Amino acid sequence: MILRSFIASLLVLLASASAQDVFDLYKDEPRPEGISVRMTELEGAVFTDEAGHTLYTWPQHLLRNGYSGEQKGRIECYDIVRTKTAGLMSPYPPGVLLPELDTRPSCTDLWRPVLVLEGAEPIGKWSIVEGQDGRRQWAYDEQPVYTSHLDQEPGDTTGGTKRRYGGEGAAARNPIGPPPRVPPAFRVMTTAHGGLVMTRDARSVYILNGESEGQIRCTGDCLDSWQPLTAPALARGDGLFSLVERSPGVRQWAFRGQPLYTYSLDSGEDWMVGSDVSGWSNVYLWETPEPPEEFTAQDTIAGQVLADAQGRTIYLYSCGDDSIDQLGCDHPTDPQVYRLAICGRGDPEVCQENWHYVPAKDDAESGSRAWRAVWIDPMTGRFSDAGVEGAMRVWAYRDRPVYTYFLDEKPGDVRGDATGEWRGGRNGLKAYWIRNAYFRGQ
Amino acid sequence: MRRLILSTATAGLLTAPASAEQTALRNGEIGYVLTSLYWSIYQSDDNSRDCPNGFNSGPRQQYEALFPSDGPAPSIVDARLDLEGQTWNPEPGDDGFPFYEPQGGIARGFDLDGQATEEDYRSPEGEPGIDNQLFRTVGCIIGFRGPDGVEFIFENKAIKDERYNRLMLHLEDVDSLENDPEVTVTVYRGLDRLLTDASGERVVPGGSQRVDLRWGKSLIRELDGKIEDGVLTTEPIEDLIIPWMNLSVPSFQQIKEMRLELALNETGAKGMIGGYADVETWYRQLMRNDSTHHLSNGDISAISLYKQLRRTADGHPHPETGAMTSISTALDAEFVQVFINAPDETKVSSRTNGESPSESE
Repeated sequence: MILRSFIASLLVLLASASAQDVFDLYKDEPRPEGISVRMTELEGAVFTDEAGHTLYTWPQHLLRNGYSGEQKGRIECYDIVRTKTAGLMSPYPPGVLLPELDTRPSCTDLWRPVLVLEGAEPIGKWSIVEGQDGRRQWAYDEQPVYTSHLDQEPGDTTGGTKRRYGGEGAAARNPIGPPPRVPPAFRVMTTAHGGLVMTRDARSVYILNGESEGQIRCTGDCLDSWQPLTAPALARGDGLFSLVERSPGVRQWAFRGQPLYTYSLDSGEDWMVGSDVSGWSNVYLWETPEPPEEFTAQDTIAGQVLADAQGRTIYLYSCGDDSIDQLGCDHPTDPQVYRLAICGRGDPEVCQENWHYVPAKDDAESGSRAWRAVWIDPMTGRFSDAGVEGAMRVWAYRDRPVYTYFLDEKPGDVRGDATGEWRGGRNGLKAYWIRNAYFRGQ
Repeated sequence: MRRLILSTATAGLLTAPASAEQTALRNGEIGYVLTSLYWSIYQSDDNSRDCPNGFNSGPRQQYEALFPSDGPAPSIVDARLDLEGQTWNPEPGDDGFPFYEPQGGIARGFDLDGQATEEDYRSPEGEPGIDNQLFRTVGCIIGFRGPDGVEFIFENKAIKDERYNRLMLHLEDVDSLENDPEVTVTVYRGLDRLLTDASGERVVPGGSQRVDLRWGKSLIRELDGKIEDGVLTTEPIEDLIIPWMNLSVPSFQQIKEMRLELALNETGAKGMIGGYADVETWYRQLMRNDSTHHLSNGDISAISLYKQLRRTADGHPHPETGAMTSISTALDAEFVQVFINAPDETKVSSRTNGESPSESE
């Protein structure tokens, strides 16, 4: 415990030391005392509490049969243990008994409200909301703010993601952070590779290797396929974005000094078509860590997936319950009955035949917090310890084990994608898409 | 073949503007892009005659029967999770609910095995020996029937809407679209959106498509065929993979012993794709796209459907168990003429041996 506290303190110091870098990428806006900004591996910059834990909000989501989450300015997460389903996701009705009621947590057991210290005042986008239980809680953009019980160390974002996974999942909690420091012509989308820079109307932007101001190489026929992102007369650079003079009187946006382009053959569904052309690359505000060395990338009929060393597609399990609190059920500390139903009709041995854990070598290290080797008891699905009989050391992403699928016979097969309730988004498995060439939001 | 020539609907599709007729067949080549595809389900104008026992029950009806709403609250493990567990880990057998099959003995399709057995159908034109056990399976499930079944609408709609589903036929060595004893047909996936009229709904001939040589490389197939009286027929090939997503899931159908029968002209092609659908692939394509919610909208019980599939499967016995692994079927298909930017043959052949496409481009 002492060691963990020391490491946490050290990481807080390191985060402070790199604060200048963070604000090259993100806007430094007013915030309450005790709330900081730090870079994370998977989500870019996030707000953190004094201990360095990531902050989350729970925006209201429209589910199939009603709303869940929190309206602006209103707290819905309390220390109440729910016992029955809310019937928010068709086709199953409400009123069904939830599992493991004797140990079922309340919403605030898992999502800890970030309370306001006495004397603190609202500032900027930060306001104060009061709950029915009398608590005073910080809100960002009027959404009440929480930390996750799953985040163990500063920089962890195990509780949720900004990435879009389609509309069929639970009403999820999302990490929050400052807006990216990009000119109004741009936006940033969180992807598997990092913060993808796009135009405001959602087109990928590209750079040509070796180009810089005064060294423009894309001219002539090149301009048939690549459109320079020109800037209006009043545009100004910001952060890592600047303006270069392409030709007298024609200014072009640049990122880290490299001129930016869009690609004429981008389909609108696949943001990376241009990066297939030699010399051209997508632009990221920040990048996610690489998966462990033993993983591979494989082409499928729909794009590229992450795969194990033998080329078998990697799948991620996700789950949210149907209580009004929409609690997670996809972590080894959550009830396992949901996963066991999908992977093997409740039988852990069948699950192991159908969905294989991905073994990690004894000395395997990933070099990141996003990917870790963990010990799992395959009969329970819960964390275990080294040396425990039957325990396996397996790869986990965001602290959740990853899997391969028994019906995938060769590299590039993705027969398991969207297995489970609501196309795998509600209680099921989806492929780890590195590049999804045909549908948005993955 | 006769059924294609006599079809008035086909004649309507194949009415060609004069300008297109003069230009579509070039250098012995013509291309077509898939614009409509759905399981061939024969429907008379009287549902009570087709399905005199009624339609099959769906997830909502079965849930109510198993866990009455006026009864005690079930546990999620006994109710929802048990049903979903059966759905995603399907097994043959009996689920206690009756399953209704279409009556009347008429179906569209092919005589795949050259035999006429008790299970076979007659075509609407009276041809015996029609193998279409998939029709027997889904013919009395309301979600599979036109004009408003959930699968009928959305599976077909996706063929036009999703680039992932952009299947194309490239005919070569064509002397005439009326008669040619020997033509070559190559199946590709296209990369581009379809050319439509001003409504945005009707696909018009004369568009162009690039060939997907990266993600679509494994979908390329080559068939030998002939054209007689304007109808293309092909020899069966081992299988065709049809990329077919309808709700953003990269799924596909595998049709074994696949053959084509299409009436052709310079603006389009219409007819049937026939063969044996791999049962596990067929079931999981449906489930992965729709999951239980969407199936409920069509009263499609996945649990009952899988058991019926296993009862009616009639092809490719498993070498060890003898259980049939595929089911005879036919798909109604429509294509519109398109100019295919044919890839360099040497590059295509180099991509069929497992070489990374990105390295060879």
